[in-house]
Amino acid sequence: MTDGGHRSRPEAGGATRVVRGRRFRIGGIVRFVFIGIYVTFLLLPLYWMAVTSIKAQDDQLADPPVWFPTDPTMTNFADALNRFNGWKGLENSLIIALVTTMLAVALGTTAAYSMARYRTGGKHLAFWFLSQRLMPPIAVIIPVFLLYSRYSEEWLGFSLIDTRIGLILLYTVFALPFTVWMMYAYFRQMPAELEEAALVDGCSRLQALLKIAWPLAAPGIVSAAAFAFIFSWTEFLFAQVLGRDEAVTVPVALAGMITFFQGNLYGQASALTMVSLIPAVLLGILVQKHLVRGLTLGAVKG
Amino acid sequence: MDRHIRWLLVTPAILIVFALTIFPLGFSLWVAFVRYDFTLGPEHPWVGLDNFVENWKDPVWRASLWRTAWFSVSMVAIELVLGMLLALAMLRPFRGRRALMTLFVIPLFISPVVVGGFFDLFVRRPYGVANQLASWVWPGTVTIDFSIDSPWLYIVLIIADVWQWTPFMFIIILAGLAAIPDTLYEAAELDGAKPRQSFLFVTLPLVLPVVLIAVTFRLIDAAKLFDIIFSLTRGGPGTDTYTTSYYLYQQGFEFFHLGQGTAGAWMFMIMLTFVSYWLVRRLLKPLEEAS
Repeated sequence: MTDGGHRSRPEAGGATRVVRGRRFRIGGIVRFVFIGIYVTFLLLPLYWMAVTSIKAQDDQLADPPVWFPTDPTMTNFADALNRFNGWKGLENSLIIALVTTMLAVALGTTAAYSMARYRTGGKHLAFWFLSQRLMPPIAVIIPVFLLYSRYSEEWLGFSLIDTRIGLILLYTVFALPFTVWMMYAYFRQMPAELEEAALVDGCSRLQALLKIAWPLAAPGIVSAAAFAFIFSWTEFLFAQVLGRDEAVTVPVALAGMITFFQGNLYGQASALTMVSLIPAVLLGILVQKHLVRGLTLGAVKG
Repeated sequence: MDRHIRWLLVTPAILIVFALTIFPLGFSLWVAFVRYDFTLGPEHPWVGLDNFVENWKDPVWRASLWRTAWFSVSMVAIELVLGMLLALAMLRPFRGRRALMTLFVIPLFISPVVVGGFFDLFVRRPYGVANQLASWVWPGTVTIDFSIDSPWLYIVLIIADVWQWTPFMFIIILAGLAAIPDTLYEAAELDGAKPRQSFLFVTLPLVLPVVLIAVTFRLIDAAKLFDIIFSLTRGGPGTDTYTTSYYLYQQGFEFFHLGQGTAGAWMFMIMLTFVSYWLVRRLLKPLEEAS
């Protein structure tokens, strides 16, 4: 934070810092007490998952609960990955989530850009995108199932049921409303002067979008992409109905262990959940980087 | 040239949404007006508004609507307050912030159906942890059956949802806060604003659009709450934790009254449309003014 002040006007570095201190934040001890309580609340279930993943079968449902297993085991991981569709689920989920994210970001940001800068479609188009999110899945899941299993074969010549492409297309549609809205808000708040300057300098609109607007909107794009990824990574109901076997995803594999006929495979489920958190760690780092970048940009401007 | 470009940019997004939703929506609209019931045979005679009326005759449907309303409002309210406080607390860098940020996003990566399953494990009696923890802080031995005893089952459901979705609010609000240029605070400072005032008159108005987007999307998703119920309480005991989505799922996939379930879904969607349209009009106003 301080080097921002140095760079912009070294002679008044100290003064800027004082001014910035005036910004309302939750300060001092209260701040860390609050963060501490929240971290505890967050960690308890997470710890329980982590510790369950290395517990032997007998310890999992012991009374009193076992907090520190004496004989940790890795069999749950091997089991979950090899016997319960773990690898397949991870592979499918990763491909589906990545492609969905790319599609949603590419289609969503361009649409949002046009809506923000040209008012294309006005309020109605914006609300139409949002309304895609309003329908309870129950109403559309049967028709989507019919569309994928029967009509896609008749109309398109190939079946979409139990395929990655089928889920990718559907998830893109589900992820788009949020991407569009998020980026719409972002572009609206971004000053248009830079793009206009580029236009004056002889750039085409498309160049202005690709070379000026996109890089500037990077923090917004990163968070929009993150949520598209998260949505595809965690969606359960449609994946369960449309992708049981070949296109099984992580949530479907997990739900099979802890909610349906198999019942109580909590050890294996915890193990697979732990593995499925790897992208979370990567994304946490990415989000962190871009949020901090947003912060320093603000500081340099100040 | 610009005239074409603007439509060229939105068309792909519109096309893909349109292509995938037009058939399911049309089909489900038809299903809502016919008898579509796997238990009653393969014919689908037209029944008019019967499917819609059937829902209103069922007290469980009416109760589920109220429950859904207060569930989603209280969940999102708690998530908003926690997310906002957290974002304000995390705004200024400190040692360990990087690691915490990663920790904070983790719940978002766990499928809600799995979160429900793990909270079930967490509160189960007698080998769940919740009672043990409660016994440490509360005198005596606590033996609450969190999945049956009211109001605990509601509290557990709300906590599970808050656990999962507070990070969503947090990230969006933090991004919004981070985007506010410091010049504005300096200007407010020069005008003699106190920190509290600059929060009220600088911070809040500027993050409001993002906050409203987060609230709108969370509210819509919370109103469709299904996964956590499905894996934590299964609607029970009895029908005490039926949300509307869970009720419709039951009608359609457990009892196979697909016509009635679909009709209910359409009514629910219309109610949700009114709520979100009201929210969105509020939401668009600051965005319109931003130009």
